[in-house]
Amino acid sequence: LNAASGRAPRQHVRFLPAPGDSGDTGLVAVRVPVLADHPLVRGPRFRRLKIGAGHRLDVKASGVFVLGIGHGNKLLTDLYDCHLTRVYTVGGLFGKATDDFSDTGKLVEKTTFDHITREKLERILAVIQGTNHKALLMYSNIDMKTQEAYELAVKGLIRPMGKSPPIITGIRCLQFAPPEFQLEVHCLHETQQYLRKIVHEIGLELKSSAVCTQVRRTRDGVFTLDDALLRTQWNLQSIQQAIWDCQLKVKTELEKTL
Amino acid sequence: LTGTRPPPALRRGLAKAAGPRSVRQLREAEEAAPVFQYAGKAAKRKDRVFVWGFSYSGALGVPSFVRPDAGWRRPRRIQPTPYRLETAEKISSAACGYGFTLLSSSTTDIIKVWGMGLNKDSQLGFQRSRRDRTKGYEYVLEPSPIPLPLEKPQQTRVLQVSCGRAHSLILTDSEGVFTMGNNSYGQCGRKVVEDETYSESHLIHQLKEFDSRVVQVVCGQDHSLFRTKKGAVYACGWGADGQTGLGHYNITSVPTKLHGDITGVNIIQVSSYGDCCLAVSDEGDVFGWGNSEYLQLASVTETTQVNVPRHLPFKIGKIKEAACGGTGNVVLTEEGNVFVWGYGILGKGPNLIETAVPEMIPPSLFGWSDFNPDIRVAHVRCGLSHFAALTNRGELFVWGKNLRGCLGTGRMEDQYFPWRVTVPGEVVDVACGVDHMVSMVKSFI
Repeated sequence: LNAASGRAPRQHVRFLPAPGDSGDTGLVAVRVPVLADHPLVRGPRFRRLKIGAGHRLDVKASGVFVLGIGHGNKLLTDLYDCHLTRVYTVGGLFGKATDDFSDTGKLVEKTTFDHITREKLERILAVIQGTNHKALLMYSNIDMKTQEAYELAVKGLIRPMGKSPPIITGIRCLQFAPPEFQLEVHCLHETQQYLRKIVHEIGLELKSSAVCTQVRRTRDGVFTLDDALLRTQWNLQSIQQAIWDCQLKVKTELEKTL
Repeated sequence: LTGTRPPPALRRGLAKAAGPRSVRQLREAEEAAPVFQYAGKAAKRKDRVFVWGFSYSGALGVPSFVRPDAGWRRPRRIQPTPYRLETAEKISSAACGYGFTLLSSSTTDIIKVWGMGLNKDSQLGFQRSRRDRTKGYEYVLEPSPIPLPLEKPQQTRVLQVSCGRAHSLILTDSEGVFTMGNNSYGQCGRKVVEDETYSESHLIHQLKEFDSRVVQVVCGQDHSLFRTKKGAVYACGWGADGQTGLGHYNITSVPTKLHGDITGVNIIQVSSYGDCCLAVSDEGDVFGWGNSEYLQLASVTETTQVNVPRHLPFKIGKIKEAACGGTGNVVLTEEGNVFVWGYGILGKGPNLIETAVPEMIPPSLFGWSDFNPDIRVAHVRCGLSHFAALTNRGELFVWGKNLRGCLGTGRMEDQYFPWRVTVPGEVVDVACGVDHMVSMVKSFI
């Protein structure tokens, strides 16, 4: 689905200024293209491209997927060390529980959901956010007794800067039309299956059951939906344009964090 | 000749086709599945009580912490996280004293108040021992009913309870205030009797003479404050730090009205836990008196004992609620900001140890952010050396000295800035004691 597109590598040949001729009088310094760069000698410029992927995206999920080309792979590692949050739009359905938490799985149980109101859902979401906020502070491995920890906590900048279990930094309900509902989730170090499990657990907390119908990533670190290329735009010009536009954003984010 | 057929049970059923079911069959099976109902449309939210902190005194009300049911189990000295306490009725008011707890319900049944914990001064009334009918219990390990000498027990309701160091006050709606416990400083509102033994005492004193109905009772360490409907404040008890606010440093054994800067002011809330007292008026002003050794009243006076209520001219906005601790004070303004001052771990990091002027705690520590802009602190409470704040979303934040696990965070270290306590429910109210806390919680659904 989201694999790299297959495009023909472009070949371009550049004429390098030639090194000076060895030799004695009578020779003129002429700029001659180096023979080693001649296309017939060197062959095609790009035979293979090194393309790396950013954070994983499931087969059943969709959304922004970051790829790095060439030098971009090193930037990808740096971006991973920044531990930035990602935003997902998660759609769910009340009344069903399946074994893999999505609506295409094997049915486990059906329950009623007419007692669920938007207010109850928001209450559960507030509690999830609260416990995850606590986990955020605990996994960040900062000594809570220092003044710096207090100041970072006031600004809200405490984040786990190493490995940690998935943490949700923000969650809210965008739409609620029983049995369907849609949530916006800001999270760190997560997998899409974890988000589906969260939807299932929300259903359990509300004394009913829920399955996840849609997981869509709308932001991955600094890359939003506006920067992402559609399937129709998977051609060389748009890719080059997109890389050019994102360069500045990536540089500022890396400088800010590292 | 027909051969004998094998019995049908052994034969493989050929009626059903083998292999994966088609989409249509799956859909039909799904529609035919039974629907379970776990909660109906009119399901009510349940009321629960959670306790945590030091348990050896029995103040948590769980006997298995002190005397385990199985012989090989060890007693649990500290309960570091909230633990559910089963109660017979819905608890409307709770108060934590120094090693004991009182729970009260606004029911019209005969039993309205339960007490547990230390009872060496009969602060929980007389708890008849089952082994010896003439003696009483010194430590009460589970919530035991306190018999009150009411005239109309099936009509009077208990509004509020309050606990001090060794005495307790119970406020009813039509029969005044009942006081029990230690009276060596007159804090129970009756005359001090020389060499009185307070343990195993049956005496419960009733106070009725005030200018109007008493609407709030507050216990300090060894004194009592009463707030009446007309906005006046009465005090009795120990006064060596000026905490009775009556203009002298002696003991008062009869509740007497306070004057000073609160004369004529309609007071809407009084608070005290140690030896300092704060009162909030309906116009948002705060008045203080009592001990000022920890800079609690240093903004108006240099003396360390203030025995007349003084107005504290803080320019922080209209004040809605105030709470006094042993060494620090906290107020909540109308906008929902929390201000702390005094001495100790005040909640602004380890560098802020003492201040005489209120400092605001940033709302982002209570969960306020661009993502949640409408989170506000709704109530503030104070224990002896720790603070608690409740938000409008029902979350409980605690900070301060973690004496024997009283904060409930699960860790034994002191907490220098507000930290969330994970309670499985929406916290409605919380009572802070010296080394334990009690919270009234509503379940989510």
